[in-house]
Amino acid sequence: MINRIVEGLRDLARPVGQSVFAVLVGLSIGALIMIISGNNPIAAYYALFKGAFGSLSGWLQTLTFATPLMLTAITFAVGMKAGIFNIGAEGQVYVGAVGAAWVGGWIALPAGLHVAAATAFGMLFGVLWALPAALLKIWRGVHEVISTIMFNWIAFYFAMFLVGHLAGERAELTKPAMASARYAVLGESLTSVIFVVIALCVLVYILLWRTRTGYELRLAGSNPDAARYAGISVRRAILISFIVGGLAAGLAGAAQVLGGHPSWALFKGMGNVANYGFMGIGIALIGRNHPIGGIFAAIFYGGLLNGRIAMQAEAGVYSELVYVILGIIIISLAIPDLLAIVKKRFK
Amino acid sequence: MIAKPEKAVSKIYVVSDIGGRGDLSFNDMAFKGGEEAEEIYGVEMVELISTTEADYLPNLRTAARDSDTVLVVGVGYLLTDALLEVAQEYPDKNFAGIDTFTYWAALDAGITPPPNMMDIVYEEHKGSALVGALGALLAIHYDKPHIGGVFGIEIPVLWKFEIAYKWGAEWAVRWYESNYPSDYAAEPSTSIVNTATDKRVLYTYTGTFSDITKGYEAASVMYDEDAVAVFNIAGPLGLGINQAVDEIATAQSLTQGPPFWIGVDANQDWINPGFVISSMMKRVDFGVTRATELVRKGLFRDAIEESPTGMLLGIGTEVAGIPMEGISVSTLADLDEFIEMGVAAEERTGESVLPMTPDEIRTTAAALRAAQPDWIWTAVGELADKIRAGDPIADLDGDGELETVPAATTQEVVDSWRAIFG
Repeated sequence: MINRIVEGLRDLARPVGQSVFAVLVGLSIGALIMIISGNNPIAAYYALFKGAFGSLSGWLQTLTFATPLMLTAITFAVGMKAGIFNIGAEGQVYVGAVGAAWVGGWIALPAGLHVAAATAFGMLFGVLWALPAALLKIWRGVHEVISTIMFNWIAFYFAMFLVGHLAGERAELTKPAMASARYAVLGESLTSVIFVVIALCVLVYILLWRTRTGYELRLAGSNPDAARYAGISVRRAILISFIVGGLAAGLAGAAQVLGGHPSWALFKGMGNVANYGFMGIGIALIGRNHPIGGIFAAIFYGGLLNGRIAMQAEAGVYSELVYVILGIIIISLAIPDLLAIVKKRFK
Repeated sequence: MIAKPEKAVSKIYVVSDIGGRGDLSFNDMAFKGGEEAEEIYGVEMVELISTTEADYLPNLRTAARDSDTVLVVGVGYLLTDALLEVAQEYPDKNFAGIDTFTYWAALDAGITPPPNMMDIVYEEHKGSALVGALGALLAIHYDKPHIGGVFGIEIPVLWKFEIAYKWGAEWAVRWYESNYPSDYAAEPSTSIVNTATDKRVLYTYTGTFSDITKGYEAASVMYDEDAVAVFNIAGPLGLGINQAVDEIATAQSLTQGPPFWIGVDANQDWINPGFVISSMMKRVDFGVTRATELVRKGLFRDAIEESPTGMLLGIGTEVAGIPMEGISVSTLADLDEFIEMGVAAEERTGESVLPMTPDEIRTTAAALRAAQPDWIWTAVGELADKIRAGDPIADLDGDGELETVPAATTQEVVDSWRAIFG
């Protein structure tokens, strides 16, 4: 028993260590940039981490920023586990938000049922938007990077068009979700949708590591030939990874609308849902493509997103710097894998 | 940490919307106002940039929590919900919103409009009518069939720009017809007067206040259709319009328009002298300084009580009995102030922003204006006088009654005008 725990910890130590190292590299280079541009990095990081994690209200706001990121990280992570480079979360978030805004704002349902139905529709819409790329991959071999990028753009304009048709009195956003379709505000901007989100992360973890389907999916991803030899359908694994990814991204969109205090709506320019899909790729990498790792990575990055406000207010450092830090972290994470590929090539 | 010497600072926070710093128009004008408030009223300005709508609430709350804060200014219509929320959470702090409508949003939600929240609104329609007239007159002069407008996100504030811009263009065509009837009859087929009324103004809502390439794409199409000038009503997207103009200028070795573009909010004439014919100035900076002044004099809440729907800045407007305007068409006289804005942007970003030296900008801009015939400026001046006088001006909707420049803020009104002007 103890051996198993020690073994488990040892397995965990390497990826966690790599992530922590990459984060430190990112923060260090961020500090360097601040020094070059004449800012005090110690004061800046102090303000950032105090703002993000130094108080209850800080934590609540950090978790608000982290909520959609936990989900979009799953979309990418599950794809990676199945050997797929699914970068379609961005568009699936938009379409999921449309689904939630539609049911939440336009269809009156009894309290309790309403919020559940609106959430479910958001997730369903996310899946529907994920399916074409999945089917193109399975039937025609279309590379998922190409198809998902294209579907992201289609989703952007399609969602803008739909927002126009779902608008209430104000043209720039959908009709706000009715009170019965809103998640309760817990404090700051955080709503109870966080519990649904974490539940989904745990469910995905169970699916991947505690079920036969999950085992087959991971095997198909890590060694498709062996999987085929063992009679596992790689196509089925791909399809499942897209569906799970669509569910997660759709929920992210729904969470931004039904838990989107104070407007409870989708903005026409996609302003309150934009970029979470792309950020999720980085979060997934930091979380080592693991649903639970993704939760921690999302909280870390949510902290950066939240703390950057205090950093800007108190230390005068432009908030865009945190995006630079995320970029550097991702590059740092990719370097060991890149080196491995190079080594293999020149052996 | 080393203890800092205690001194009493008063801070104003300027919270941008998603356009952010560097648009050289709407948001930068607000920060410019903050800098002026620092000088005039001895406050310290803190800038908070919003990159997404998710930043609005935490930005505003961070600003309100600072014990030194005397005023929080939210810049942009989209901050309405968030400002209303935070103004209620922090009743001891003062809040102002540029282009916001918290008063009406509060009434809609069935709550009392907070006494610490001031909406600052502008008469964009009046200035837009003037540049619409200018554009159409240029189209007449250069025998071009269209003028254009590149818009951001479709919000009611932008409807005011759109409808009045079209209205001003129509007014100009009629002005030309009645003042130069024989020339009007002799206009070639490519002239805007011979374009169908609903096709004269080309316009696109790009759905963004930040994606500059969309401004470029939208404007390129309009210039391909031979629009003489394109009005920027989308903040930084003006830089995309400018890029489209630059391409044409380079391809045809032009040093002066047409094609032209028309700036917005700031005096943007300096961005590309010779090609920016004029700008519809919306003095967002005045809104910030005026609100700060009211706070400093202890009159902020009185001013809200006096005009709960908001502080209105426009042409011929007054606030608390003092003439306080906020809308005008750019002149050569106010160019210097904005060249400085470009200089400041260069210092901040370390990148070259000014296209030429300040002196060259002045002479080029003056030469551009001098190159246009006098009757164009006479006509624009005439419309400006009529707007200032406040009387009904023309009957362009054909209902048999003269109207003032329409301020379209509802879908029905917008639709009725679009039925006429396209």
